[in-house]
Amino acid sequence: MKRIRHSLFSLAGLVGLLALLGAQTATGQQSTVYAVVVSTKMFVVGAANPQTGIFYQPSGNDTIWSHTGPTTIRAFDFGIASVSENAIMYIASGNGVHRSTDGGKTWKITTGWEITEVLSLCTDPHDAETVYIATAYGIFKTVDGGDSWQEMNAGLDRTFTSCVLADRFTPGVVYCSGEGGAYISRNGGLTWSRMGLSVGNVRVVNQHPRDPQLLVAGTETNGIYLSTNGGRWWEKSEAGVDHETFYAIAFDPNNPDILYAGGYVTGVYKSVDRGESWKRMNSGLDFPTIHALAVDPRNSKTVYAGGYWGGVFRSDDGAASWQGAGLPEGQVWNIFIQP
Amino acid sequence: MKTLQCVLLICLAASGAISQDLTRGEYLRQYEERAAYVGSRFDTAMSASYYTIAVRYARGSGIAIADSLFQVALQEPRGDMFWMFPVIGAYLHGKEKMSAETRATVRNAWKTYAPYRGDTENHWAMYYASLFLAAEQWPDLPGTEWFNGKSSEENREEAKEYLIHWMDITTSIGQGEFDSPDYFAEYAISMGLLHDFARDAEMTKRGTMMMDYLLADFAAEHLDGQYLGGFSRIYQPAVYMPLRSVASGFAYLYFGTGTPSQTGWLVLPALSTYRIPEIIYKIATDRSERYLHKERKRVRNVIRFGPEKNPPVYKQTYVTKDYGIGSLQGGILQPIQQHTWGIRYTYGSPYTTIFGLHPYWSSEELGMFFPEELKPLIADVVASKGTYNNPEKWTGGSPFERTFQHRNTLLVLYDIEPGTTTEHIDGFFPMNLEERVVDESGWILCKAGDTYVGWYPLQPYEWIEEPERSGQSKNTIGRPETIATEKDEGAWRLRSHFLQNGYVIEVRSQEEGGSFQNFSTALRSHLPEADLRPGSVSVRYTSLEGDELVFAFPQQRRLNGKEVDYGDFDLFDGPFLSAEVGSRKLTMRYRGLRRVLDFTTLTIDE
Repeated sequence: MKRIRHSLFSLAGLVGLLALLGAQTATGQQSTVYAVVVSTKMFVVGAANPQTGIFYQPSGNDTIWSHTGPTTIRAFDFGIASVSENAIMYIASGNGVHRSTDGGKTWKITTGWEITEVLSLCTDPHDAETVYIATAYGIFKTVDGGDSWQEMNAGLDRTFTSCVLADRFTPGVVYCSGEGGAYISRNGGLTWSRMGLSVGNVRVVNQHPRDPQLLVAGTETNGIYLSTNGGRWWEKSEAGVDHETFYAIAFDPNNPDILYAGGYVTGVYKSVDRGESWKRMNSGLDFPTIHALAVDPRNSKTVYAGGYWGGVFRSDDGAASWQGAGLPEGQVWNIFIQP
Repeated sequence: MKTLQCVLLICLAASGAISQDLTRGEYLRQYEERAAYVGSRFDTAMSASYYTIAVRYARGSGIAIADSLFQVALQEPRGDMFWMFPVIGAYLHGKEKMSAETRATVRNAWKTYAPYRGDTENHWAMYYASLFLAAEQWPDLPGTEWFNGKSSEENREEAKEYLIHWMDITTSIGQGEFDSPDYFAEYAISMGLLHDFARDAEMTKRGTMMMDYLLADFAAEHLDGQYLGGFSRIYQPAVYMPLRSVASGFAYLYFGTGTPSQTGWLVLPALSTYRIPEIIYKIATDRSERYLHKERKRVRNVIRFGPEKNPPVYKQTYVTKDYGIGSLQGGILQPIQQHTWGIRYTYGSPYTTIFGLHPYWSSEELGMFFPEELKPLIADVVASKGTYNNPEKWTGGSPFERTFQHRNTLLVLYDIEPGTTTEHIDGFFPMNLEERVVDESGWILCKAGDTYVGWYPLQPYEWIEEPERSGQSKNTIGRPETIATEKDEGAWRLRSHFLQNGYVIEVRSQEEGGSFQNFSTALRSHLPEADLRPGSVSVRYTSLEGDELVFAFPQQRRLNGKEVDYGDFDLFDGPFLSAEVGSRKLTMRYRGLRRVLDFTTLTIDE
């Protein structure tokens, strides 16, 4: 596979780079929005299920969703490793990892039978050929763009993982989370050690776009935690938080003081003080469980929320109000914005 | 025409009542009749069903029509792995007969339609067996010609690797979706297709050997068309109407038992060249001697909330010519559709079973096996399996339930956590029982033909009359052909609301215990002693044969003063089948016959 020299980003982790791009190119253009739809209501394996997978709204069109890639694969995550006409894209799915090297025109499953239930995917911002995935059976890594994969579970107490994130500032530093808690690797996933967060079942970890020491974690039963020292210590962020289960954490790439969070029957929470306190912002949002959040790097007022069976909602005023943006009843696992 | 069909059905049903004394020649003659009957519903049909298409091609009945139907069916492919196996099956039965245009349409479908691989063992068996055969049929194509972007060679190698892995693990530590009356078909069809059509001689042999393996496993726990014992997965209709299960259709086809069936699940097997070896037929049908059969299986992949990926499942089944009683050890061994214990007998219809359970559901149970988010998981599952969180349901395991079986005596204990999803236990008693008497001794005494069942509840209970079951059946999807449509006689539900609870079950036949009166009299002097304090639930009971069973929840089991260790269970252990854990070798025995399936050498020794 050709070495990729273009800018790199993935849904899970490269918000900072998006911020940079957004800041440099904010000319009024719109971004391309990708929604990762696992399923719709009444999904049954083997039945005549509606189309699912990766849907996108091309730049300049915020009303119609188009589809790319396989249609019934239970997609959980999406990443782009090369911004060009022949973009290299990845889909994390129940079938494994799908890769396109021609901007989504054709796809190949790059994993074998051993890798299944891929819940999170992260391209490495420091090495275009390296991709990490979090699966129900642990962390796997490729260093050749998906041609081969290695299991990377040394040090994990439990192998069920739901999030993996490559540090965008320091090569080799990777975070993951799952049933066992939140972990850090300083050697590209070869070994993992627990971060200072004592709770288990950590659903998601995200990193501040400009401050590498600020990490935010969403947990299954313990709400939101913040670390200001790269994961050594964590503090529960409780001010204004009335819920316990958080699946999505998003930073505003243009204003790092602003964060959004969402989870099980939470609606959308917004913080304007780097996660110190939160306020619910649900006007017009008619589904309670949020599984995906993303801020448009070109326009911080534009925020997308993906619902669990609720489709996509968009806010054009920084979450003050929301309106439906399509894919109704979709179980939207993730949303990704390409400037 | 209807009269003719009735006569045919009566003849087939009569031929279904054959004994194990049939000569091989006579067995094969009757088998061909049954196979022909299965296909007869399809060979003149005009529906765009892959089963119709397969039968038409195989029997040469309207090739042009088959071509046309295939073209129509492939206009909108759907069904994932449930699409893959009938399509490749139909293609392989017709590829020499179909038009070039139809061949091209089939080929194109494998390029343009991307099936989901699924998330469990039966999905993967279908997906990879089908993909293997398809990749063999079009052997030298690049990835651009396949739905998954992999070349023919890559697909073939990956599929073969998975299938061998599955066979290895199944013959070493047991099947994960084991003994499923409803999912037996998915494995048997996949392996049968390998037997019939694999070009790779190794995979042909493996297909044949796995067919033998699956059917021998079924045969040893089979009675009159019914699968016996505890099961990994069963849909609600089949749990209380055992002969409505898909596996019973296979019993009809291969063993000549049960009722004639023309379910589509039987089409590809009925077209197959596979024939069960004589020894498996004998094992399935000779019930001249009573026996205990033990097995070890494995829990489906545990992805969280457990330290072990595939913990062992211990199953035992006591089999007579009149009834079988079987159990798993209890606890959560499978999601949603576990059947922990049950009695099935040859009397009556459609209800031929008595069983009990603690109706339980939780996001933790589902999270053990499914990777999606925990809190919405129940809603996810209920969207397609409506009975899952129904407190009246008749399927599912519970972490608060454990069993201790000794031949035809069974102790079941519950220590239910307060506040859990349901705070009651239920027992299923069909209304078509000849007798259901609540004796002053405390025993509930039931008579089902020559089978007698005693059920001693350890706590007070109530009876709830349930005149018909079809309302709940409608909530179960995926197996529409098994759903009852007629009004039936219904059942009595025994419900007890005590958290520390349990019962003792005794089953005997007329052959074992004489008259029902004798059985009832004998039980009156055998009363259990129970300690039902929270966290300290136990029962002591002396069986009709004088064996003393002491059982303390969850897993202290003593028989006649000696500790019982389920960890000693072999993969198969009974008069007909034996296999050691890790051996990858199954030995079948029946009187002078012997057959050894050795997966380490891929040989069959007779």
